[in-house]
Amino acid sequence: MSGDAVIVCKGVGKRYGRKWIVRDIDLEVRAGELLGLIGPGGHGKSVLLRLLAGLATPDEGEVRVRGKNLADIDPFELAELRREYGYLFQNYALFDFMSVADNVAFPLRQAGGVEEPEIARRVKERLEQLGLGEALDRFPSELSGGMKKRVGMARATIGEPAIVLYDDPSAGLDPVTSSKIFRLVRTMHHSQDDVASVVVSHDIDRMKVICDRYVMIFEGKVLFDGPEEAIEGADPMVGKFFFGSLGQSSGAS
Amino acid sequence: MNASTTNFFEAIGAPVVDIARAWGSMFGCGLRTLRAIAMARIAWREVIHQSYLIGNRSVPFITVTLGFLGMISVYQVAMQIKQIIPDFTMLGPAFIQIMIREFAPTITGLMIATRVGSGIAAEIGSMTVTEQVDALRMCNADPIVYLIVPRAIACMVMVLMLSIYAVLVSTISGMLMANGAFDINMRTFLSLQLTNGDDIVIGAVKALAYGFSIPIIAGNAGLTTSGGSEGVGWATTRAVVSTSFAVVVLDFLISAAGYIFT
Ligand SMILES: Nc1ncnc2c1ncn2[C@@H]1O[C@H](COP(=O)(O)OP(=O)(O)OP(=O)(O)O)[C@@H](O)[C@H]1O
Ligand SMILES: [Mg+2]
Repeated sequence: MSGDAVIVCKGVGKRYGRKWIVRDIDLEVRAGELLGLIGPGGHGKSVLLRLLAGLATPDEGEVRVRGKNLADIDPFELAELRREYGYLFQNYALFDFMSVADNVAFPLRQAGGVEEPEIARRVKERLEQLGLGEALDRFPSELSGGMKKRVGMARATIGEPAIVLYDDPSAGLDPVTSSKIFRLVRTMHHSQDDVASVVVSHDIDRMKVICDRYVMIFEGKVLFDGPEEAIEGADPMVGKFFFGSLGQSSGAS
Repeated sequence: MNASTTNFFEAIGAPVVDIARAWGSMFGCGLRTLRAIAMARIAWREVIHQSYLIGNRSVPFITVTLGFLGMISVYQVAMQIKQIIPDFTMLGPAFIQIMIREFAPTITGLMIATRVGSGIAAEIGSMTVTEQVDALRMCNADPIVYLIVPRAIACMVMVLMLSIYAVLVSTISGMLMANGAFDINMRTFLSLQLTNGDDIVIGAVKALAYGFSIPIIAGNAGLTTSGGSEGVGWATTRAVVSTSFAVVVLDFLISAAGYIFT
């Protein structure tokens, strides 16, 4: 299943103030692999995702994407790499001065090379697929949380990125829409060869359907890294978290 | 080094490092803005939109402030003159010169600094804390090019135009005061006898310098915001204080340069 490593973290640590939020993270995201990032709330998943995208710079260790250290590449190389990324932010991060359609079209317009009618067609198609066909001309402030999440999802996937990071794609969504979203994650993942996807979620049942491998972050460290079958032999915490009782509300320090 | 000396150096060092960092990021922001303008990476539609926002809503403020300023200063000066030599012929020309050279651009700059500076910091600050700026970065849209450059150009143009407007408003109100209270002939008042090209150049340079530095400082405060809505509040306050301070310092520097080189 797993191809070459697309993103490699070596001894990555990030702190805010004096407190280390994540530390000693060794992690690979491989081409063609759908990686599930799990762990209790507030233990550093979103921070790690930001590090993987180069939105935050590690205070320790390094993050390499396609062999290049994000901390010291020139802006052109960074731009080149960013073209491959799709990122769904946990709190949507929709541009509130743009309509839904413009939000979703933004990555395509920014990348260039696609004609306006084609952009409009793709945007409409993607939004309809997510049940938002009616919302094209509305503004983010007029949408519910779940709708914003879906718009964010459309914006993250519209450019058919090769590296996609989803921060909690199904948070605040009803079960039917959640399943739809996870199906889209899988569709995106298989839309081309060698897509590398990372999904952060608490929705473990739905993750089980699509993920190839799991990494559990606990108190800023990697507590588990492997496929579902390997959980049995791992720290009992992982099993508890994965198979039941330890939900997102507990565990946060 | 023992613990107390370490603490001592930390106590001295940390603020110094913080200040150096803040200045560094501000100048970095200014340089990157200039470079983007030089490379013609400008979204003209956004420039026009921003110009409208800055200019349109500032006109009433400028009208009221400069209108009163014109009347008050003419009244005060005329009262002084009356006590010494009751000859008002140079009052108008001197008033117009100092308005062009000093007060119109600087008062306009201060007003824009508080009104527009706080607006820019709040807007960009809330975009930063809601990760919209990060979303721009992920789409390869440089926040400087996308957010700061249009505001910088719009603000330069608008401060210049509003300064010209401010000269007109204050001159008219001053002239009416001079005519009404001191019976000074309007023609005598409205004279450019003391105003020369240097005064106009210095006034214009001031307006452009304020117009450029306000969005840079305020925008940089917005981009470096951290910590939710409270952070946005702090960024806004910081922007108002530093932009007003910048206007005063630039006023001093440009005036000094003006007296040295002309
Ligand atoms: N910019 C920041 N400044 C200071 N602390 C931060 C910052 N961002 C995150 N943190 C802290 O880092 C820790 C981890 O946060 P993170 O958002 O990664 O959690 P998470 O695992 O994504 O949680 P959730 O599942 O609830 O989304 C939290 O304690 C948070 O307070
Ligand atoms: Mg999170």
